[in-house]
Formats: sequence, structure tokens, C-alpha cells
Amino acid sequence: MNALLDVVLVAGLLALALHVARARDDQGAIVGFIAFGFLLGLGWVRLASIDVALTEAAIGGGVTGLLLLRVEAHTRDSSAPDRTARPITIAAAAVLCIAVTAGLAFVILNLPSPPPTQAPAAAAALDATGLENPVTAVLLAYRALDTLLEKVVLILALVGVWSLAPDHLWGGAPELRPAVVPEPLSYLARVLPPFGVLIAVYMFWVGADAPGGTFQAGTILAAMWLLVMLAGLRAAPDTRRVTLRLLLIVGPAVFLAVGFLGFAMAGGFLAYPAGAAKPIILGIEAALTLSIAVTLGMLVSGPSKRAPTS
Amino acid sequence: MPDFLTGAAVFILVVTGLGLFRVLRSQVAVERMMAVQLLGTGGAAVILLLGTATASDALTDVALLLMLLSAFSCAAFTLGQSSSATATERAEEKP
Repeated sequence: MNALLDVVLVAGLLALALHVARARDDQGAIVGFIAFGFLLGLGWVRLASIDVALTEAAIGGGVTGLLLLRVEAHTRDSSAPDRTARPITIAAAAVLCIAVTAGLAFVILNLPSPPPTQAPAAAAALDATGLENPVTAVLLAYRALDTLLEKVVLILALVGVWSLAPDHLWGGAPELRPAVVPEPLSYLARVLPPFGVLIAVYMFWVGADAPGGTFQAGTILAAMWLLVMLAGLRAAPDTRRVTLRLLLIVGPAVFLAVGFLGFAMAGGFLAYPAGAAKPIILGIEAALTLSIAVTLGMLVSGPSKRAPTS
Repeated sequence: MPDFLTGAAVFILVVTGLGLFRVLRSQVAVERMMAVQLLGTGGAAVILLLGTATASDALTDVALLLMLLSAFSCAAFTLGQSSSATATERAEEKP
């Protein structure tokens, strides 16, 4: 029965991918892509990678979808010249995509069996961290340096987006609210965020012991914030506001501070003192969740569209 | 029992998939967006059934997230709608 489920899932994913590639208008392709993200989440569930399934649903289905829809709406308004690709471009893209797929398939099919894995070592050291979710242990204890740099990259990406603002709008607020806010949208923006915030807090808290964690929680918070800004219930903040900028850096800053404290307390950068690892990790995660939420929210909002107030 | 639950999940996945392609091929933009809503509901059902079949509680969280974000995606879709001429049409349609 499980094999049948997998076959149906793979067939659905392939058909949906074909639909996205063949869609005539951009908007149809984006909607197909959002659906693809959700279906891919199901695929990750089948591979028993529940952490990845959560991230795929949150990023692939939620925030990326909004980002792409915004871009589509923007380019449609500016009535750009005909952007239809020439047949040679399409053929080149198809050949490249097929080459990447074939290469990946070749590598996957030729993995030694059993594949080399660090999983037993990661599970064995789990007790020392006090955590029960091995994915969180990898992200915030074993490979904490990678996670730290990843969060800094997010902020660099935001700096890149902000720098697209023209000089006279620098420091101003981005504009998300459409010209006309449909009634159902403003209703949804009032009803959904309380549940969303609750789910985000739960996702952060459960991440220490079960699938979930700071990135998923931050993404949900960002989605709820974006919803409120989209419906015009709250305007986007000025990008030069001090509180906003403090929120952006609080996560990486706490992470970095704990890293340097590691020299004094546990004899190495990002080393946690024995016995206190779990509370420290939860503290870092709480700060990171806030920073990720604000960073993703501002990334999707885009560069400043209004002059800074006073 | 797990086999029956997985079978039910397959059934729902197939039905959702068929509905998905029917809706995605629609000429009306709003109907296409309902495809995402359909997949959110159907996908959550599939995940809940699989979670019960394999007795893994964490899958319930995935279903929860799927529901939340499919509702969010629908809201995001209105963004592309109201910035163009369709906005005025939709405003006029309102009673």
C-alpha cells in the first residue's frame, strides 16, 4: 500500500512540474509552483524527513509564493515589453534542466549501500545536549557555526534588497498594501494571525524535542506579519527605525555573544558548558526566531517605497 | 488497520490530484488559486491519515502548518488581483 502511495505522489509531482513548466501565463505557473511546494512537503513526509517537510511547506508554499506573486503583479503593472523567450532559449533551459536531473539521478542511484552516515554518532551524542530532536542538535550544537553564518547571510540579503531603494526614499517604509483591499482579505488578516502566532510559538517550543524549530516558527510569524501588512491593518515600519534594526540583529548578536562566551565557559567558540546546553540553545532559538521573522517579513516587503516620516 | 488508513490516504490523494488538475486548468484566475486551498485541505487529510497509520504525532504538526499556509497563500493571491484593472471590476461586483 505504501508503494502505491509513493507512485501516486511521484506521478502527481511530475505532472504538476510539467504543468508549471508549460503554463502559458506567469500567474498560473506561480500558483502551480505553490501547489508543487505543498505536494513536495508530502514527499518529504514519506521520506521521514518531517523537519524538511515543515520547512518546505512554510518556505516553498508560503513565503516564496507571496514573493513570486508580488513580482508578477509588479512586472505586469509596468507593462514590460514582450518577454516571450525565443525557442533556442527554451531549448537550452530544457537541456540544462534535464542534465541537472540526470546528474542527480545518477549520483543518487550510485550511492553505496548502506550510504555513509553520521546519524548514529549524532544520536549517540544527543544526551549531552539535553535535546531530543537530532535535527535541532545538528543545527544548534554540532554544526552551530554553519547556522550562525546562515543567519548572517539572511541579513546580507536584506541589505541587498534595501539598497535597491532610490536615494530620496532611503530609510522609508516599503509598501505592501494593494490599492483596493478586498473584504475577505481584511477579514482573514484579523482572524488568522492569532492562530498563526500560537502555532509559531508552539513550533519554536516543540523544536527542541520533536520536528519543528526556529526557522519554521520564524517563517510562520513572518507570514502572519505580512498578512497584516497586506490587508493594510498595520503599515510597514520605516526601514531606518532603531527598534526594527535591533530586532533584525538580536538573533545573530545573541548567537555570536554565546559563541564568544564559549571561550570563557567551555573552552572553545560556540561550545556550551555541560549541563546547560539546552537552556542556552532555547535562548538562542528564541532570539533567532524573532530575527528570522522580521528579516523574512522585510525581505518579502521589498525596498522602500515611501519617504521616511520626519 | 494501518493498511486501511494508508489506502484511504491514497484514495484522497488521487481524488485531490484529479481535482487539482481540473481546477488548475481553469481559465478563471481565482479558480486556479482554489487549487492551492484544495491541496491544503486534501494534503492535510492525507498527512493526518499517514500520521495515524505510522503512529507518528509530529505529522499532525505538518498538517496544521499546511492548513495555515494554504489559507495564507490564498490571501497573497488577492495581491496580484487588485493591483490591475480587475480591482475595479471586483469592487463593482460587490453588492
